[in-house]
Amino acid sequence: MAVEPGLRPPRVWLRRAVGLGAGVATLAMLILALWVAPPDAVQGQPQRLMYLHVPAAWVAYLAFATVLVASLGYLWRRDLRWDAHAQAAAELGAGLTALTLVLGSLWGRPVWGVWWAWDPRLVSTAVLLLVYVGYLGVRGLSPDRHVNARRAAVIGVLGFVEVPIVHFSVLWWRSLHQPPTVIQPGAPPIAAPMLAALLTGVLAFTLLTGWVFLRRLDQLTARLAPAVPNRPAPAAVDALAAIPVASKTIHVKNGAPR
Amino acid sequence: MLTAPRTSALRVTVLRQGWLLLRRELAIEKASRETLVTVAPFVGVLVLLGGLAFGPRPAVFAATAPGMVWFAVLVAAVPLAPTVAIAEAADDAWDLLRAVAAPGALLAGKLAAMWLRLLVGWGLATLLVATLFGVPATTAGLAGGVVATLGVAALTVLLGTLLPATTRRPALLAVLLLPASLPALVAGTQTATTGVPAAPWLALLAVFDLLTLTVTWAVFPTLLED
Repeated sequence: MAVEPGLRPPRVWLRRAVGLGAGVATLAMLILALWVAPPDAVQGQPQRLMYLHVPAAWVAYLAFATVLVASLGYLWRRDLRWDAHAQAAAELGAGLTALTLVLGSLWGRPVWGVWWAWDPRLVSTAVLLLVYVGYLGVRGLSPDRHVNARRAAVIGVLGFVEVPIVHFSVLWWRSLHQPPTVIQPGAPPIAAPMLAALLTGVLAFTLLTGWVFLRRLDQLTARLAPAVPNRPAPAAVDALAAIPVASKTIHVKNGAPR
Repeated sequence: MLTAPRTSALRVTVLRQGWLLLRRELAIEKASRETLVTVAPFVGVLVLLGGLAFGPRPAVFAATAPGMVWFAVLVAAVPLAPTVAIAEAADDAWDLLRAVAAPGALLAGKLAAMWLRLLVGWGLATLLVATLFGVPATTAGLAGGVVATLGVAALTVLLGTLLPATTRRPALLAVLLLPASLPALVAGTQTATTGVPAAPWLALLAVFDLLTLTVTWAVFPTLLED
């Protein structure tokens, strides 16, 4: 298989395994969230949005942590594969943060009586989204990939500062938003079936996001070496098989076979 | 007979370079009146329109005045960002500065100049709010202003260096600079609000400064590679 030196072969097996796990976990989450877990005693059925809202927020944090690590990796090694990791994670993080806001708004309407409140958690989450939209906007400013990667990496490092602000905003300020339920000292004040549905939701979102991340990563890394395909087309494989062994070596010059 | 000059006289330290760059920035300011031309109209119009929008009840003025000051300062920081690199590049001076000055010195000079510009903007906004809104500045508010503008200056220098001169630049500056300055907006407002304990908010501003200065110092040499 023709693979440019330094680029990893496609992680098809890993992607399939993660995809399969995501499917199973999503199915389990739906069963637990819709049938097994009871409706909340105070909020009723709208509380079930928690099984999507909280996992989306947590996985968004995870994606932004990935952006931070990959950005530092790029600044350290100047390798565009790190930048590809950061870009894929930032796209997912921004999407999941937007999803978190939309789901929170849908949940807030029946419970709080409003679509939006000037609450520290809501405002800081919206700010977080803006920062990573800006991160993605910085990427296309230069025709030079390394210049874009360098600028984006700086924003990727700087932007992560917002993540702890968002997370701890409910503790630092008086907030309408509820404080952390699961990660807190002592036993979580949540019924066991609800906790099971929530944790399964986190697992499902993590695997689903991981699966999309790997697919996007393959797309982005493939763009790094457009002249040398990672996987030869079937016709090309047949043609290669017909060539005598002695002359099977393919010479590559300036990125294109000759 | 030629004698070798003393090494200490020839050695231009980073601090010395930074001081020279700050003097250069002040000389440019003196000649161009860039801060007055850029910041003063922004701050003046914002405070005036804010007064029309929120007034004339004194209770509403008292509640909105501290936030009005910081809103004006942050909005004025956006048009100031091009003075870091874009204006230098337009004068064919940016490449020369990068070649001659040490990155730390260039950062120090640009940061000090930006801090002074923002202090002027903040001082003007505080003065206008005190006069037009009838809400005098507090000691804690003054301390908060000095501390918070340093962090905002660091961010403005960082993003002013990072973003090139494109049509998307103003929008990206607004999207990145204003949200990143959120701690200055919130804590700066709280320190200037009567009846709110200032110490925790001043501590938060100090952390904000430390964080923004560290990140800017760490990544500035990388940004100069463009």
